[in-house]
Amino acid sequence: MSTHAEFNKITSGEKITGRPFTVTRETIADFALGSLDFNPLHFDEDYMKEQFGKTKFRGVIMHGMQNFAMITRTLTDWLTPRSGYHRRLETRWLTPVYLGDTITPVATVKRKLETGGSRWIVFEINVTNQKGISVATGEAMAEFADVFPGAPT
Amino acid sequence: MSVLKLEEYENDFWKDVDNRMSWDQIIPGDLRNTKPVSLTQEVISQFAKLIGDDNPLYHDEEYAKSTPYGGIVAPPNIHIVLMFACTDITDWMRSPGTINCGQSWYYNIPARPGDTITMRGSALDKFIKKERLFAVHENVFTNQHGQVICTGRGQTIRPV
Repeated sequence: MSTHAEFNKITSGEKITGRPFTVTRETIADFALGSLDFNPLHFDEDYMKEQFGKTKFRGVIMHGMQNFAMITRTLTDWLTPRSGYHRRLETRWLTPVYLGDTITPVATVKRKLETGGSRWIVFEINVTNQKGISVATGEAMAEFADVFPGAPT
Repeated sequence: MSVLKLEEYENDFWKDVDNRMSWDQIIPGDLRNTKPVSLTQEVISQFAKLIGDDNPLYHDEEYAKSTPYGGIVAPPNIHIVLMFACTDITDWMRSPGTINCGQSWYYNIPARPGDTITMRGSALDKFIKKERLFAVHENVFTNQHGQVICTGRGQTIRPV
């Protein structure tokens, strides 16, 4: 199916729900090695008892970029079979994610747009924890181009 | 240029803590010290697994060939590790207590196994809000052909 036809099948309001992700000491250790981010915020319970300026935490927190990575996974898993290209992701962290929390990203198709040269989807992003509280929000953009970006020639 | 191997990096961020720039010392516009790293198929797959991304696009060449990508690529968010991989232990993003507030990234073309990636990064701004010290920063990653892989901006709260 052509990229154009794939684009046409997508409907505004369509919701893409990612797989839930539960935070453990093991997922934090894995993410730290994968990202090379060994900030003690993610490991050291004693350090986390301190006051961080005006911020106080109740234990070690998940890497913010783990959140980002789960949103990316949700988008690329959905886009790749549709020949869509993940162009952009913008996120804001609203509240820390702690050990034992389960987060689930949802991307909602907000807008479909055709420009002179290409086709675009704008997504609204919301990541919630097991209590239904938003831990991150954002926006993403995908392109459905005739020529796939960076495709080998 | 060095081949990226995750196990070779220092994992104690307290080391060299006194050699890192504090919020006071960060000069918006000044380039951070960086060095290029090259990506192998192994480190791409390892990165993707460790951050929890099992999409076969990053692990399975046969599958990846059947997609418009035409072969294994790095996940778009490979910049997560590239930022630390291209900087050294004295870079201020490693300061303990650095709190990430949010990021926005634009993806141009995918990084691929064999690519050598160069980072250009600096703070763009710093400000104080509700007694918190903020820095705004921007990074651009390019490949060995000078093509942009991705560009991104972020905000962090800096430790006092």
